[in-house]
Amino acid sequence: MFRIKLEQKERVSKQQELIINLYAIAFALILSGIFIALNGANPFVAFWKILTSVFGSRYGFSETLVKSIPLIFTGLSVAIALNSKIWNIGAEGQLFFGAIFATAFVIYGPVLPRPLMLTIMVLLGMIGGAVWAAIPALLKIKFKMNEVISTLLLNYVAINIADYFLFGAWKGKDNFPYTPEFPLEAKFPRLNFGRVHFGFIIAILLVILLYIIIYHTRMGYKLRLTGSSLKAAKYAGIEIKKMMFLVFLISGALAGLAGVGQICGIEYKLHQHISNGYGYTGIIVAWLARSNPFVIVFFAFFLSILLKGVDSLQIVMHLPAAVGVIIQSLILFAILGGELFKNYNVQILRRK
Amino acid sequence: MIGEFLVEMRNISKSFFGIKVNNKINFTLRKGEIQALLGENGAGKTTLMNMLTGVYFPDEGDTFFKGKKMVLNFPGDALSMGIGMVHQRFSLVGNLTVFENLILGHPKNKFIINVAVEKILIQKYMKQFDFHINLDAIVDELPIGIRQKVEILKMLVREVDVLIVDEPTTVLTKQEADNLMQILRNIANSGKGIIFITHKMSEVFQVANSITVLRKGEKIATVNKEETTPNELARMMVGKEHNTTFNLPKTKKIPEILKIENLFVNSNNGVLAVKNLSFNVAGGEILSIAGVTGNGQIELADALTGNRKVGSGNIKFKNRDITQHSPKKRIDEGISYIPGDRINVGVAGNRSVWENLIMKVYRLPKFKKGLLLNNVKLKKYAEKIIQKYDIMMPGINLPALLLSGGNLQKLIIGREIERDCDLYICVYPTRGLDVGATEFVRNSILNLRNKGKAIILISGDFDEIFGLSDRIAVMCEGKFTGLFNNGDYSLEQIGLMMSGQEIENLEN
Ligand SMILES: Nc1ncnc2c1ncn2[C@@H]1O[C@H](COP(=O)(O)OP(=O)(O)OP(=O)(O)O)[C@@H](O)[C@H]1O
Ligand SMILES: [Mg+2]
Repeated sequence: MFRIKLEQKERVSKQQELIINLYAIAFALILSGIFIALNGANPFVAFWKILTSVFGSRYGFSETLVKSIPLIFTGLSVAIALNSKIWNIGAEGQLFFGAIFATAFVIYGPVLPRPLMLTIMVLLGMIGGAVWAAIPALLKIKFKMNEVISTLLLNYVAINIADYFLFGAWKGKDNFPYTPEFPLEAKFPRLNFGRVHFGFIIAILLVILLYIIIYHTRMGYKLRLTGSSLKAAKYAGIEIKKMMFLVFLISGALAGLAGVGQICGIEYKLHQHISNGYGYTGIIVAWLARSNPFVIVFFAFFLSILLKGVDSLQIVMHLPAAVGVIIQSLILFAILGGELFKNYNVQILRRK
Repeated sequence: MIGEFLVEMRNISKSFFGIKVNNKINFTLRKGEIQALLGENGAGKTTLMNMLTGVYFPDEGDTFFKGKKMVLNFPGDALSMGIGMVHQRFSLVGNLTVFENLILGHPKNKFIINVAVEKILIQKYMKQFDFHINLDAIVDELPIGIRQKVEILKMLVREVDVLIVDEPTTVLTKQEADNLMQILRNIANSGKGIIFITHKMSEVFQVANSITVLRKGEKIATVNKEETTPNELARMMVGKEHNTTFNLPKTKKIPEILKIENLFVNSNNGVLAVKNLSFNVAGGEILSIAGVTGNGQIELADALTGNRKVGSGNIKFKNRDITQHSPKKRIDEGISYIPGDRINVGVAGNRSVWENLIMKVYRLPKFKKGLLLNNVKLKKYAEKIIQKYDIMMPGINLPALLLSGGNLQKLIIGREIERDCDLYICVYPTRGLDVGATEFVRNSILNLRNKGKAIILISGDFDEIFGLSDRIAVMCEGKFTGLFNNGDYSLEQIGLMMSGQEIENLEN
């Protein structure tokens, strides 16, 4: 009856790419709806609940923003690596390592005036993330080890290192695996909108800064070339190994910031559940937004709507928590499927 | 010998970004025929063939194959119907062997591959069409001339009836090209049809039966070889005649810009590619390096520009030892490089045209604006080169890989020649350029020489070598078998040196 025609496309504009991604999301949401229906709930009601839980109240909206803060950081982290064709699956581990470094200062360092203390913690968090990313970077550059595997596995190591401290030296007075609450000096100020904290401002400033760096500096030009073709970059006089290492460090530092944001802005202590999988969700954010830092903010917010909304589905409609994970995975699959439409013009014709 | 119609394309049109690249083109090909497709850079040759092979769909028009209307849905469809194309950019998998490449993607090899049987089959094809290729060699380690043949063999193994070869001879020496054309002749004689895209008039008259000329997306004419002349074809292509003679005015030689001492360089697989070379190049001089592809020329060029590690020996540039300097440092010191691999090395394909044009200059202070890059000024710089070198492109912000082969080459040439350097290393600089652009580039290189620059010209084209060089070196298996003043030895003698005879052993 019908036949499908594929024509090679050598180029899709950024806008087209975005539109294809939006279609992919719509497609994934339809599938999720079916899944929700199979669970015996009305998908329209469910989606409505998701929307109202986010936009229906000041509280809901601010909580969604709160979730989007770490997603902006991890999204940027994965995206900047992806821009140079490096797959950083390790934002989760780098997030934890950033948090560990920053927490160490609270535990072992002096209590300093708030701005100074927070600055030091932010820097330490970035260093922590960067240190953790330096390992796969060196493995890749020195031994050509595939970073997908090394970054992924190091996530588990990082989380176990956190456990080591949480069940050991940093255990709180009541013997549970979390640190004592941080002093006021180590807490981000709030922005007078629910729990939205100073990390949000850092995130937005970083988005602008990264945009400028990528498109308006020599360093950004080098990043762009390296990301497009290693051979051409080398030929153009760019030290590609240095560049790759730097990209890993920046990527790790950004993920580390997500960790600092969580412990200084929300949790006020280090424990096992500071992340909620933000490192992995960041991969989806980055893939959806591709290289544009501003679009990352948009998609980070979109995914936090899902995270927040699904939380309330669990409570209001008694749907399993896995629904959230499934919607996320469907979106990822739909986007990957959408790649076909980015590389080919697909026409569906009626057979004559 | 020439039989019935294989391909008939009727009224084919195609536009990109609103620009008509092919306009109502009619094109036919018969069994046993070799048809040359001629036209300036960007005339639409590759695009037309891409529509025949189903890479792109025409906006209008129909294609008939063996009398039946062709319906192409998926990229592989044309190949399985019997139309195969060897592209300007190669499509072999570099780290696999020749044999693996040949069977890769063949529909009959779905689950089980009988290696012995397949090899015998391939040997049969090789014998029939006179190929000599080691099936177990790794593709990356083969010279371009051989890789080209593997691509063609791959199509033959797929039993195509129509073979399209897009500028297959651009980097080949005369002998290699002759050999390739003989193979094309054999293939055509076996009853297949061949479409042969080239810019070289001599090849057209050597091998083609008929010639189709495109100009700016329009078909001008299809003529039989017997009924036309090179001059007439040139007129059809560009609307005017070209005469390409160069004169080399005496320049005052500036002593030694480049001095190489006992240079050893390894190739990718660790084999010695450059063996104990010593030579120098003066300012105001063009030193050509002639040789069959794959005899160490590329490795030498890469080593001189820092893109490949030197095994041992010294490179002195302007009296400074630069053997250990990075590519970046050498760029700053004033070495310009037109690389042999234009697609993978010469440009970053999915970055825009302007970003590719500023590759070598973006670090200059004049393009800085405080901490930032002055993108506006950089784009202006890029636009200047586009105009000067007449680069046809769909847009300055669009990716470089959308450019036609010749225009991509012009982009690289423009970028490298525009920069003020002391040493220019040009590898196959006029490959894929049409007659007009070739003349322009050769004149630009001569101008550099006359301004006192040192130039190393690696080329397979003897018109170019004899026309431009002050001295000629002949390279074979990593060594110079001869180094002499242009004019001292004949083409024949150079041919002997290219096959390994030392200059001292030639009888004069
Ligand atoms: N996918 C594409 N998108 C936009 N423009 C394209 C695309 N493919 C080709 N073009 C444009 O179409 C024109 C014709 O290109 P084509 O590759 O057919 O030229 P050609 O005759 O093969 O030239 P050359 O001799 O330089 O290889 C060029 O201006 C090129 O930039
Ligand atoms: Mg072409």
